This record gives sequence, C-alpha cells and structure tokens, in this order.
Amino acid sequence: MLLEAEGIVKAFGSFRAVDQASLVVAENELIGLIGPNGAGKSTFFNCLAGDTRPTSGTIRFRGQEITRLSPDRHARLGLARTFQVPIVFAGMTVRENVMVGALLRHPHRRRAAAEADELLHFTGLAERAEMPVTALGTSGRKRVEIARALATEPRLLLLDEALAGLTSSEVEAAIELVERIHARGVTLIVVEHIMEVIHRLTERVLVFHQGRVIAEGTPAEVTADPTVIAAYLGRRRRRAR
Amino acid sequence: MIPLRRAWPVAVLVILAIAPFLTANPFYQRVAALVVLAAISASAWNVIGGYAGQISFGHSIYFGIGAYASLLLFGRFGLPPIAGAPLGIVASFVVSLIIGPPTFRLRGHYFSMGTFAIAALAEILVVNWKFAGGAIGLMGPAMPRSLADLLFRNSLPYYAIFLAVLALLLALTHLMQRSRMGFYLRAIGAGERAAESLGVPVQRYKLYALLISGAFTALAGSLYAVMIGFVDPESGFGILISVNMVVIAALGGVGTLFGPLAGAIILVPLQETTNALLGGSGTGAAYVAYGLIIMLIARFSPGGLAELWPLINRNGRRRAA
Repeated sequence: MLLEAEGIVKAFGSFRAVDQASLVVAENELIGLIGPNGAGKSTFFNCLAGDTRPTSGTIRFRGQEITRLSPDRHARLGLARTFQVPIVFAGMTVRENVMVGALLRHPHRRRAAAEADELLHFTGLAERAEMPVTALGTSGRKRVEIARALATEPRLLLLDEALAGLTSSEVEAAIELVERIHARGVTLIVVEHIMEVIHRLTERVLVFHQGRVIAEGTPAEVTADPTVIAAYLGRRRRRAR
Repeated sequence: MIPLRRAWPVAVLVILAIAPFLTANPFYQRVAALVVLAAISASAWNVIGGYAGQISFGHSIYFGIGAYASLLLFGRFGLPPIAGAPLGIVASFVVSLIIGPPTFRLRGHYFSMGTFAIAALAEILVVNWKFAGGAIGLMGPAMPRSLADLLFRNSLPYYAIFLAVLALLLALTHLMQRSRMGFYLRAIGAGERAAESLGVPVQRYKLYALLISGAFTALAGSLYAVMIGFVDPESGFGILISVNMVVIAALGGVGTLFGPLAGAIILVPLQETTNALLGGSGTGAAYVAYGLIIMLIARFSPGGLAELWPLINRNGRRRAA
C-alpha cells in the first residue's frame, strides 16, 4: 500500500475535527474526499501532508511511519500537496516558483530550470514562464502550485480544492490536467466540493461528516447512500417539523 | 545591450574604488569609508532580512560583539585590534546558534520584536560588564605600535580595506543568489508554509542565513572598532545600530544585491553631514530624517529604490527604441 492512515483523530480542546478517520490508498488510485463545509476533510488532509500533527492515529507512507514528520520530510519522501488558497512566491517569476520545487531533486540551477520548463509546458504555463507570478490570476496560481508540487517528483499528490473558484471553462481545463497527472503515474487524493468533478474524476470517494467518514465507495454508490444525502441536505423529517 | 547590463556592477565598483582618491578633503574621505562600512553591515543584514525575509532588529548584537572582541583583545592582552575579527566571527556563530532556533519559531513582526528584545538585553548586560569597560566602553591604541594596529591618520587605507570586504561579501551573496540556497531563502521569505511543502528545511536554511549574516556583521563591528578606536555600549550594541542596517537596506531595496550599498551611499553622507552641521546636540536629527524616509518607503515604494530601477530602465529602453 502506498498510504495507510489509521484511526486519525485531531482534537482542538474537546472538539474533534477529525474523529477516527482511516484511509488506505493503493498505487495509481485517484481518490476523492468530499463532505459539507467544516466536515473535517481539510484537517484530515493537513494531517496526511504533515502540516498538522494528529492527536492520535498513525500514518504510513510506503511502509514508513510519517505521522510526526515535518512537511519538508514528507516532500522528500514523495508526498506533495497544494493549498486551498494558493501560496505563490511573490517576487519570483513563474519559472522560479517551479524551480523551488525542482531544486529538491536537482540541486543545480540549470538542471532545475530545465525540469521546471518541462512542467510549465505540461501545465500550460510555458508562455508565462518569465512573468512575475503575482501577475497570474487564481487559475494560473493554482497551476503554478500544481507544477511546483509535481517538480518535487511525488509518488502521491494531495490536491486541496484545486478547482474551487474557477470558471466553468477553467474547470474543464483543470479536470483534464488532473487526468494527465494521473496518467503520468502519480497517485492522487483530491478534496473537492463540486460533485460533478468527483463523478468524472474519481474511482473511489470518502465522505466526511462531522469529522467522521460516513461513507466510502464509488461516486455512484455514495451519492445514492441515504446517510450521505442526509448529511448534505439534512433530514426530511426535521424539515417537515 | 546585454554586455552593457553585465558591465554596470563592475563599473559601480570601479567608480567606488577610485572615488575618494579624487578628493583631498579628509571629511569626504572619512564619509566615504563610513559609507562602505555601513554597506557591509547592511548587506550582511540583507542575507537574513532581505533574501530570507526575516526582519531582524537585533543585528546590533553582532556588530557589538565584533567591536568589543577587537578592543577587548587590545585592552586586555595588547593584541592588535584586528586580531579580534576572527574571535568576533566565532562568537557570532555561537550567538546565532543560541538565538536562531528559538526566534525562528516566531513569524513576521513577532520575529522582529523578539530579536529587538534580545539586542536590548545585550546592551544592558554590556553596560554592567565591568571587564568590558561597563558604561564607559573600551579604547583602541592611541599610537600605532606596528602596522598591524592598522592605525592611519588618513581614512583612505580604511576605505580600501572596507571595500575589499564589501566586494567579498557581495561576491558571496551573488553566488548564493544563483544557488539553491538563494532560491530557498527567497521562497522562505515569500511563503514559509509553501516552501516547507516543497521540501525546503526551513529552520535549517534560516540558520545558515543567520550564520553568514551574523559573521559579516561582526566583521563590520571589528572594522569599525579598528578605524574609530573606541566603542561603548551605545555605539556597539545600541538599538540604533540595528535600525541603521534595516533602514539602509530598506531604502536601497531589500533582497537585492546592490540595494544596501545604494542605501548607504544616500543615507550615510546625510547622517554625517547633519552631525557635522548640528554638532553634538544634533546627533538625533539624522534619525528624524530616518523616520521620514521609512514612512516614504512604506507609502510609495515598499521595495526600496531597487523597485524604481526597472522603471528607469524601461523608460530608457523606450527612448532608445
């Protein structure tokens, strides 16, 4: 197994943002995490990426325990991520942003620049390589983040709402990009709000609600699941009252 | 166009190298030496404060260590003051290793406040340190015993020494800027969390930057002590020493190779002239001007003069086209 997260709990005081969540990911899977706002998906996601230390539970990546390792160690081991709100390196060009990622495996500048150019081409940013990164809009910045993360040559890539805030034509392009990343042999976990995207992209979905995983299965299965419908829409009886 | 663009830094250094020899006025020569000295400490500060974006207000601690190391070795053991430079650098490493890891956990303004507090504490400690002259401070040699005392009546030899050190520091910074370390420091400055997620060992790189920055600042302190021949807690560890470095770098442009030098060329003559014109009672006047400059930078050009450079350049190119 590529990634095994077992019994993850993240508590803030008495509040459990994530409560006994588990996830097993095999090589080459494309998994979706969905759930209403505040369901705990992002916190769970941050635990996987090493940004947040879980209160209890263990995470293993390629057989090695990584539960308490720092984010940079995660990247080194081949687990990369993007952020919900893109964090680009202002003051650098688009290419330089991607080079920061590439320098992890290629310490020499020229080599890193060549790797970055390949990924800029792959993500459709080649023409904007020389631009200051701050000149890009949300969609462009999200692509920079993806290119940068790919530059660290990850085995597993975690995408945190990579499609949120995009226009419908941008969403199309982004879905196509995620598919191409998958085709490169990168395993993916995507957090997503848009149900249509989940339907089109993923083979397996975990549904979060109030910190717990309430359903797991193919997108068709979980959307037909009454507990999932109740979590998203509320219960009919309560509404009637 | 390209060879011309490559050539201009060299031109700047050549002009700097000959400029003070064109005047016989000792005041100008002295100011020229002080400009280069300020450029050394501001460029050293720039490594951690500019490239890595960690705005230290505590660099006076390094400057003071260098200055005191020089004059303590002279005062207590009769060694030439310059012998204190390596001692100051070693001491700066120790200080970086002690204050770096805890302060690096603070982000943004909190880091600035933390370093400020540490430097203020250091000044108080030195005031109460009898062995190091307490509040009175330390003197250098009154008469040169040998050439090793580096005691010259004229400022030009100091100017030449300082310029050599500055050239070394800028060459190192230039190499760093193009290396992985340069990219990593800029990434840390722009977005620590994202840098970390890309495999940058953030705390370690900040420490590397502080070690380099502190060592050169300590060297600047030693050189200052060698030239001036006197240091007390205020002129070594005073908070204005830190502020000086920050303002000079900010005026020229933080995180740029020549920004701190440009800032020093503008600010130090201003400071020295107001001091000379207003005498002892006017030493504060320069800092009133500093306050004004900080406001103007923050309001109109947060990137310093370096931010205006491309504008000038672009206009020039348009005119040429």
